[in-house]
Amino acid sequence: MTRVLIVDDSPTIRRMVKVSLGLLPAPTDFIEAASGLEAIERLAIGPVDLIVLDLNMPDLHGLEVLGFVRSHERYRSLPVIVLTTRGDDSSRQAALQGGASAYLTKPFTPAVLAAEVSRLLGSTASPGAAK
Amino acid sequence: MTDFLEGFLDDYFAECDEHLTTIRRGLLALEGSVGRQRPDPVVTEELFRAFHSIKGIAGMVEHRESEQLSHEMESYLRAIREGDARLTTPGIEALIEGARSLEHAIAARRQGDTPPDTSRAVTLLRGLLSESTPAGTVHDTAPAGATPSAQWQCVFTPSPALVSRGVTVDLIRTRLRESGEIINASPIIAADGSVAFRFIFAGALDQATVDAWAADGMTCTALQSDDTDKPIAPSPDLVQAAPGATLSTGHYVRVDLARLDELMRMIGDLVILRVRLTDSITRVEPFVPPADRRVIQEHLIAVERQLRDLREGVMRVRLVRVGEIFRRMPFVVRDLARDTGRKVRVVLTGQDTEIDKFLVERMMDPVLHLVRNAVSHGIESLDERIAAGKPPEGTISLSASASGDIVTLEIADDGCGVDTERILARAAQVGLPVPPNPDEAVLLDLISSPGFSTRDDSDRASGRGFGMAIVRTTVQELGGTIRMTSTPGQGTRFSIDLPLTLAITDALIARVGTHTFAMPQTSVREVIEVDAAAVRAIEGGEVTPYRGGALPVVRLSRILNVPVSAMDRLHAFIVGTGAATTGLLVDRILGQREIVVRSIADPLIRVDGVSGATDLGDGRAVLILDAAAIVRRARVRGTGALPAVKEIA
Amino acid sequence: MTGERPDHFILFLVAGTTYALPTKDVAHIEMVEQITRVPNAPAFVDGVVFSRGQVVPAVSLRARFGFERVPRDIKSRLLVVQAAGRSIGLLADECREFLSIPPSTVHPPGESLAGIAARYIAGVATIGDRLIVLLNLDELLNTQDPILAA
Repeated sequence: MTRVLIVDDSPTIRRMVKVSLGLLPAPTDFIEAASGLEAIERLAIGPVDLIVLDLNMPDLHGLEVLGFVRSHERYRSLPVIVLTTRGDDSSRQAALQGGASAYLTKPFTPAVLAAEVSRLLGSTASPGAAK
Repeated sequence: MTDFLEGFLDDYFAECDEHLTTIRRGLLALEGSVGRQRPDPVVTEELFRAFHSIKGIAGMVEHRESEQLSHEMESYLRAIREGDARLTTPGIEALIEGARSLEHAIAARRQGDTPPDTSRAVTLLRGLLSESTPAGTVHDTAPAGATPSAQWQCVFTPSPALVSRGVTVDLIRTRLRESGEIINASPIIAADGSVAFRFIFAGALDQATVDAWAADGMTCTALQSDDTDKPIAPSPDLVQAAPGATLSTGHYVRVDLARLDELMRMIGDLVILRVRLTDSITRVEPFVPPADRRVIQEHLIAVERQLRDLREGVMRVRLVRVGEIFRRMPFVVRDLARDTGRKVRVVLTGQDTEIDKFLVERMMDPVLHLVRNAVSHGIESLDERIAAGKPPEGTISLSASASGDIVTLEIADDGCGVDTERILARAAQVGLPVPPNPDEAVLLDLISSPGFSTRDDSDRASGRGFGMAIVRTTVQELGGTIRMTSTPGQGTRFSIDLPLTLAITDALIARVGTHTFAMPQTSVREVIEVDAAAVRAIEGGEVTPYRGGALPVVRLSRILNVPVSAMDRLHAFIVGTGAATTGLLVDRILGQREIVVRSIADPLIRVDGVSGATDLGDGRAVLILDAAAIVRRARVRGTGALPAVKEIA
Repeated sequence: MTGERPDHFILFLVAGTTYALPTKDVAHIEMVEQITRVPNAPAFVDGVVFSRGQVVPAVSLRARFGFERVPRDIKSRLLVVQAAGRSIGLLADECREFLSIPPSTVHPPGESLAGIAARYIAGVATIGDRLIVLLNLDELLNTQDPILAA
């Protein structure tokens, strides 16, 4: 059972991600966090196989979460997909330098997100098409 | 792509409603800060985030006007937050105009109308930033006039056990905020690699609170005032204690709930062992001298009694006074009443009622929400109350009582009652279907629908439009029910019934074919082994020899439509008493477990003989059987009366 | 279907036909592992599963529509829908995509489609050369049916 941690303070976006990833062929369980601290808590009580991470969040900035994740032995190679808002190029750079495995801009295409998740999880099956 | 995104428009509108409420509230609060060197940082931050969030989701659903407006307002708020701009009167006015335009734009999109012209608002807002003067570099972190409070370092270590009780970092944060101000929050890695959160906190904490929080995974140490300037490093004794260690402060010991579960399991095993021991002794009894026989019986009875007491003792460790939930309500009410200009008093009854700790944790937020609602929506203003001939001070009463297996929490106010018309109008507005002649249950259902959030400018408290929805979901998850009664002009009462020692019960787990079932311990008098060859068919059913007589037996495989077992030794649950004693045949009993009973609510799966379901740990649903119903059903199905059974003592 | 804007649906496959339900009714979509049979439940109810801590019935849409059941595979999905305060899981062969369906493309159900009771159908949408059956969720979950003994 794959476990994906979705971190975003917007419930709308969290549901969008969940439904997009519902098209994945592999069994997936979703854990949600609405803030950086919650995300780290969920990670600590784990297990988590992949994180979809928003950057702009109320308590800890996504980059700080990413930094914390990469600084910990246990999570160093955990795949993290960063979601950045449109046109935020400096964040994109910082995300990559900070150790993000991939980044996507919002608005995202469900199929693209699902494909990225599949790729990072090493799955060979392709997700359902979205119109 | 567009189709996918447009499918989330309802979520978008619902989330915007939440943020708009925060914005309205925040702008009202901000008005009071005009001209100050640095406006209230909490409000500023809240507003900033609200605009930022709307901008984000507006961008997702491609709602241009909304995105643009919120972007402008976010920029201004950011500048204020960072001291690059001062909050001026034109600034507030531009923000208010902007917020109004934003609301119109969202409403227009929702109703499919043409988008309003937002250019004026945008221009006003842009103008603010170009001519803003920096507010200076003064950083007053405390609001003017506040007395310096003690500072603490609070370290919270999350764990699955704590989370399953509802003690999350979010709850910890809320608790800290309610008692003071969080100056800093950061994740830390302890020496053994575990993750914890360190909060630097300013506020007054009494020893009882510190002790209570320690039981929830958070240790607090007071800081000397000169410590705050030094970088804080986690001190060795704050590193995650080795598993199994407990931290002692005074009369309290921190105990992991998982260890309590382990204890309960061990007790369960002891109970089974006792049953087997009793069996063995019964078999050898005839060969034992009478004097010894009596002594052995006495010992057995004593063991049974001790086990029962032990079990109850461990259960009791989990019980907590309901007063825990009620404790902080008077403070919450006082603050809220003051902010909304009302006079409200709180009456508490039944604080000594004890409930499982798990329930306390989960019900904290829902009760808080209901109390806040009562103050902000229930109790009327002083003038209104006087005009209505009511005492000027409103009353909110919180009570708890236990009866049998149910504990009832009630939150009542003597305010204006629910406004049915407004609820129905709002329901129509958000597109919620309303049956004809809606009663209080329907009204409760409506206000508990996610995204319902009534619009109300003085909505300081309820803020999050999902409050009532969360109340309902939490109550449901705990296997409880919530009712609302209301009289216009007189008040409203919410009544929450919760199963007491939760729906945790001892059960025997059995296998029938490839199916696993649970049978509540309380239904089972005895467990015996049965030789398959010794089961004889007679008219109307089957029997097997038992204590010198014939025990009617019912094969669970037949009742449950599962292929009959080929095993030559079966087990039987002896259920019922006297002439109704029956043996329920299963293939094998796997053991005894304490299970959490999940109710089966949906009519599609409500069947006679099944009283619920549980999870034995692998995520699969295991059905819980209702012994009495099964026996009844078997009797009805039989072609004749079951044979009379020799009275079994 | 009300209002000007087209409604948004999630599409899924059952026995070769594409069906649709409004996205707002679908709480989430899950892979289904084990379904626990419930004795004497209606024939079209495969059993129960735990979904987000709740006991949820798993309704076989194949059985509901009169088709024979097939073993579940990796593409099978459980759509957890919510209606009138109930959470119900609907088993589909495959869960495909999201689509907005303009009301103008929807026609009332004509002759019954391959034996499926007409009352389950809220309408049929023709989009290009695709035929999509819009389901009536309330009828689908109706418990007034005579209980078919297992």
